[in-house]
Amino acid sequence: MRPGQVRANVKPVQPPFSPVLLLGMALKPVRPALLQPVFDGVLKMLRRRHPDILDRMADYASKPVCINPVDLPFVILLDPNPDDPRLTVRREIDPQEVAATIHGPLEVLLALAEGKVDGDALFFTRRLVIEGDTEVVVALRNAIDGAGIDLINDISAELGPLARPFRSCASAAVDLLGRIQDDIETLRTALIAPAVKDSNAQNARITQLEAELKTLRKAARRGGVA
Amino acid sequence: MTAKLTLGPVLFNWKPETLRDFYFRIADEAPVDTVHVGEVVCSKRTPFFEPYIASVVERLHAAGKEVVLSSLALIMSEREMAAARDLASDADLLVEANDISVAAITAGRPFVAGALLNVYNEGTLATLESMGAIRVCLPAELSGDAIAALATAAKSEIEIQAFGRLPLAISARCYAARARQLTKDACQYVCADDPDGMEVETLDEIPFLAVNGTQTMSSHYMDLLPDLVSLRARGVSRFRLWPQNVDMVAVSALFRAVLDGRMAVAEAEDRLAGLCPGVQFANGYVHGRAGHLFVEDDE
Amino acid sequence: MTTAQPAPAPLTRPELVCPAGTPAALKSAIDAGADCVYVGFRDETNARNFPGLNFNRRELAEGIEYAHGKGAKVLVAVNTFPRAGQPEIWHRAVADCDELKADAVILADIGLIDHAARHHPNLRLHLSVQAAASNPDAIRFYADRYGIKRVVLPRVLTVQEIAEVNARIAPIETEVFVFGGLCVMAEGRCALSSYATGQSPNINGACSPASDVRYTETNEGITSELGGFTINKFAHTEPAGYPTLCKGRFIANDKASYLFEEPTSLNTLAILPDLIRAGVTAFKIEGRQRGRAYVAAVVGAFRQGVDAVLAGKSLPDIDLDRITEGGKQTTGAYEKAWR
Repeated sequence: MRPGQVRANVKPVQPPFSPVLLLGMALKPVRPALLQPVFDGVLKMLRRRHPDILDRMADYASKPVCINPVDLPFVILLDPNPDDPRLTVRREIDPQEVAATIHGPLEVLLALAEGKVDGDALFFTRRLVIEGDTEVVVALRNAIDGAGIDLINDISAELGPLARPFRSCASAAVDLLGRIQDDIETLRTALIAPAVKDSNAQNARITQLEAELKTLRKAARRGGVA
Repeated sequence: MTAKLTLGPVLFNWKPETLRDFYFRIADEAPVDTVHVGEVVCSKRTPFFEPYIASVVERLHAAGKEVVLSSLALIMSEREMAAARDLASDADLLVEANDISVAAITAGRPFVAGALLNVYNEGTLATLESMGAIRVCLPAELSGDAIAALATAAKSEIEIQAFGRLPLAISARCYAARARQLTKDACQYVCADDPDGMEVETLDEIPFLAVNGTQTMSSHYMDLLPDLVSLRARGVSRFRLWPQNVDMVAVSALFRAVLDGRMAVAEAEDRLAGLCPGVQFANGYVHGRAGHLFVEDDE
Repeated sequence: MTTAQPAPAPLTRPELVCPAGTPAALKSAIDAGADCVYVGFRDETNARNFPGLNFNRRELAEGIEYAHGKGAKVLVAVNTFPRAGQPEIWHRAVADCDELKADAVILADIGLIDHAARHHPNLRLHLSVQAAASNPDAIRFYADRYGIKRVVLPRVLTVQEIAEVNARIAPIETEVFVFGGLCVMAEGRCALSSYATGQSPNINGACSPASDVRYTETNEGITSELGGFTINKFAHTEPAGYPTLCKGRFIANDKASYLFEEPTSLNTLAILPDLIRAGVTAFKIEGRQRGRAYVAAVVGAFRQGVDAVLAGKSLPDIDLDRITEGGKQTTGAYEKAWR
C-alpha cells in the first residue's frame, strides 16, 4: 500500500449516529446509477453559477478527488478537468484511481461546501480526514470556499418557476431535519447509556490502577525493592 | 584571479578562551583570506568575548588576514542597537551587516552585506551597493541560477556559503533554553553545552535540524566542494566556511586545494568526511532542490 | 487624601485589517466589520501562494469596488522576494495594484520597494512582516528612503517594546498581528521550509507547502510528513495539526517535544487594551488560507473586542478555541516569558 492511501476496509471517520446515517441505511439497496441524475444536475448548476471553482482547480485538472460521505453507502468522484468535468456517484472506489480522498459525514461536507464551517478546524479536530495528495484537497477546499455556494439559493435559481415551491420545501426539510436530529440525539443517548456507564467505571478503575502503579514505582526508586 | 575564502563568524557559544585560541590558530595556519569576528546570534553572549577581541584582531592582522566585524542578526532592543552603532563606528574595520538597520547606519561607508540579509535579486543588490556594500554574502536558499544572475549583475564581490551548518532561522525565543524548560531571560547560557549545535531529530530519529540558542540551523553541513569550480565560473568570487567544532584549518586547506586545482574533488570529499565524523553533507540549494539533499551531479 | 487622576489620553481607534483568500471571504470580512482587507494575487508574488487561493485581476477589481462601496479598504500583499533575473511578475503586480486603485501594497523586498517608490509614486506603501523590521532604525530606513507609511511588525516584540518603537518612529504607523497562525521565527528570515522541501516562503510564497505534505493513517494514529521528514504523530484521540515545520514534534536531548512551538494560534483578545494603549495603528488577523467561516468568526470577535475597549466597556468573552490550531491559544511574543 502506498502511504496516505485508504486501506480497503478502514473507516477513518466513524459515521455519527444521525438522520443521514439512517437515510444511508435506507439507500443501501439503491443502485448508485439511479442517483447519478442528481449529481449531473449539481454539476450543471456548479458550472453555470460557480465557474470560478473549476478555474481555481485549473492546475489540478488531471487529479480526480474522491469525496466519501462516511454515513452514506456511496462515494462521489470529482474529476476537475475544466474541459470535461465530471461528478460521478459510485458504490466504492479504488484508491489508485484518485489523487486524494476526503472522508467526512455528509452534514459536515455540506457545511464545508457552503463555507459555514472552517475546513482547517474540522481537520484539526478529526471530523474530516484527508488522504493522498494534500495539495489537490487544499485547492478544492479553497475553490469551493471561495465560490460562496448557498445550496438552497443555488438550486432554486436553477429551477426557474419551481423555485418558490422548492424553497419552501427545502426550508421545511431543513427544519424537520433539525427536529429529527434532536430526537435522534435523545435516542442515541438512550442507546449508548449502558455502554457509557461501563466505560466510565472502567476509566475510574484505570485511573486507580495508574495511581497505584505510580506509588509502587516511586517506592521502587527510593528503596530499591517495592 | 582565484576565488577567496572567508571564515564566517563563529555562530556558537564557545568558551571565550577556546574561541581566542581558535582564532589564533586560524591566524597562524588557515589558508583563508578573510576572518569574521563578532556575536551574530544572541546579545547575551557578547560580553564574554569582548576582552579578547583586540588581541584576536591584532593576531589576524599580523597574519595578513582581512578582519570583518559581524553584527547581530536580530536587533530588538535599544541596548542591541547601541552595540550595533558602536560596531559601525569603528572606522578601521569592515562591518558585516546582518540586519538592515546596521547597513543603514554605516551610511555611505563600505560594508559587507551578511548572509542573513535578504538579497534575492538585482534590485536589492543594487540598493545595497549604492549604500556602500562592497561584498554581499547571499542567502543559503538561492539556486545556482539565481546566484549566477546576481553575480552577473554585481559590482560588489559575491560570496556564498560553502561549508558548515546553514543558519536557517532566527527567533526571539531561545530553543536551547526551552529544550531545558528554561526561559531566555534565565537561560543559564545552556547553549554553551552544544558547541556544534544541539541535534534535533524527527520522531523517527532521523537527524534534521540543529539548535544554536535562538538560531535554528541545518543538521547537515553544507558542502560545496563538488560545486566550487562551476560556481567560480558562474561569477562567485568568495566562498564562506562556517566554523564548526572540527579542524577548520584542515577544512579550509581542502577548499583552498580544490579551488587551486591541487586536489581532486573526490579526494577532498573523502578527507572532509574524515574530518567531520558522523556528519551528513548537503548541497541541494545550489542545485535548486531541497536544502538537505546532496546532489552528486546535475542530470 | 484624594488627588484628581490625570485624564488618560484618548485612545485611537485601530483599524481592523482582515484576511481574504477569495472574493467570498473578502465579502465575509467586510460584512463582519473589517476596516481593511488584505489580499494577494494568484501566483508566487505573495506569501500565501496556496493551491486554489487568491485573486485574479478581475476579482481584485470587483473586490476593491465592493470594499470601497462599504467604506472599507483593500491592501494587496506583494510580499515575496522577486526572483533574480525575473522580476516582471512582481513589477506587474505592483503596477496592477496602482491601476486598480488598491489602497496600499504590502511589500517586503528592498529592490521591489525601490521599484515601487520610483515608478508608482502615488501608491501607498506598507512594509510587510516578511521584511522583519524589528527596530526603529530599520523602520526609519524604509520610511526615509522610500516613504513607507506603515510597518507590519515582526512577531518578536513584546507589547512594551512595541510601545517604545511607536514612540520612536511616529508618525510612521505600525500594524501588529492579533490573531491566527504564528511564526515563531523572525518572519522572512526563515529557510526551514525550503530546507525540507525546496519551497520557501520568501521565494515561492509557501511555507510547508501542501504539495510536500503527506498524512499516513496507522493503527496508532496519524503521521504527518513534510518533504519526507516526519513532523508529528497524533494518537487517534489527539487533535491533529498541519505539519508546519516549527509546530512539529522533534527529539532533542533524547526527549520528544514541541521544541519550537506547539500547534497553537495567536489570540490577543485578552490583551487588546494594552495593544491599543501601545499606540498601534492597525490590528491584523492572519489567515488568508482559512475559509469564510473562520474569517467571519474571528473578524466578528475582534470587531466586538475593539469596539468594547474604545467604549470603555469590559472585553467580551468570546471563545475562539474551535477554530484555533490544536485547539490552543497563546499571546506569543507579546509577553516576555514566551521567549
